Amino acid sequence: MFNKDEKTGNIKEAETIIGPSVKVKGNFHGQGNIIIEGSVEGSVKTAGFLLIGDKAIISANVEASEARIAGTVTGKIKIKGFLEITSSAKLNGDIQTAKISIEKGASLNGNLNMNNEHAPDKK
Amino acid sequence: MHIYIYDSYVNQKRYDSIIAKIETRITDLGLNGKIIRLGVMNSPYNAVENELKKGAKTIIAVGNNNIYNQLINVLAKMSATDSYQCKTPLGFIPVGKKNNEIADYLGVGLEEEACDILSARRTQELDLGMANDQYFLTTAIIPTLGTTVEIDKNYSIEITKKGEIQVINLPIMVNMPSTINTSAKDGVLEMLIKTKPLAKGLINKSLNSLTESVFSFKKLFILNKNLPIILDSVLEVPAPATITIAKEKINLIVGKNRRFS
Repeated sequence: MFNKDEKTGNIKEAETIIGPSVKVKGNFHGQGNIIIEGSVEGSVKTAGFLLIGDKAIISANVEASEARIAGTVTGKIKIKGFLEITSSAKLNGDIQTAKISIEKGASLNGNLNMNNEHAPDKK
Repeated sequence: MHIYIYDSYVNQKRYDSIIAKIETRITDLGLNGKIIRLGVMNSPYNAVENELKKGAKTIIAVGNNNIYNQLINVLAKMSATDSYQCKTPLGFIPVGKKNNEIADYLGVGLEEEACDILSARRTQELDLGMANDQYFLTTAIIPTLGTTVEIDKNYSIEITKKGEIQVINLPIMVNMPSTINTSAKDGVLEMLIKTKPLAKGLINKSLNSLTESVFSFKKLFILNKNLPIILDSVLEVPAPATITIAKEKINLIVGKNRRFS
């Protein structure tokens, strides 16, 4: 079975949780960490960490500082830092990120751009 | 001057000995003041307004959640109309265990014990929530059935399962997910949507927590044609309602053992 840390991606503190029985329509913008297990239509933007669970269905452009995606996303994905894509993820849309990890079994349809203007400078 | 506002139910004979003990303790502590017994004919608003004009320094609710919510509304409305710089603290002497969950959370204790808390005069300034023109300290609750929600005019929320929507200022009798921090001092409200777990028995407790949704907001619009919103477990407000964090704050006398910092 899962344990909580695996399920919530080690998020200790979240600003928003969108559960599986909830559907959000519109522009959802936050500052803190967001956990999505339900569905979202419109846009999602946060200055924090974004966790998209394996049952989540997102039809939206997505922007976050860092993210872990296990669900279905249709739309552009723009991540400033590290993007982790797990085996259950199904992504349809272009991806822009500084660092990426893709697990075996994930499905990606779109361009991947890693010439990211947000990438941290190396000293 | 201390003004004690007695809820009408404490005038019942079965509370006589409790009230006598409270009044003795108040005298012992040198906290004597004026007693106003609410009945059908006198409104708490007029009673408190008159006493504030005369220079009352503390208003004390004697009763349960119901009178406490009424006096919070009175003091917040006075603050909103700006007729007073209404920073007068609100004390609380809970009588009887029924409908007195707020007192427990504030660390006030029951009956005589609450008099000692009053004497210590430890105050906390807290946010208030507002549903249309009514204030609430703790929660505003409505079932999910037939309810639509719009937050900060940016996005709407559709809930596909039966459950309950809890708008939270002070989280009394609320089990928030462990990842969420909520406070009545942060200038925002939280909305907790609880629906039934996906499959009973098959899913462990940690996964059940993910049938909950939480949103932080400053302004929320709730529509339900059939059911009202319940404020502080005592007051009904019909939907549609706009719920916001109120501009006014409230000064409450709290105990050392309160369950918030």
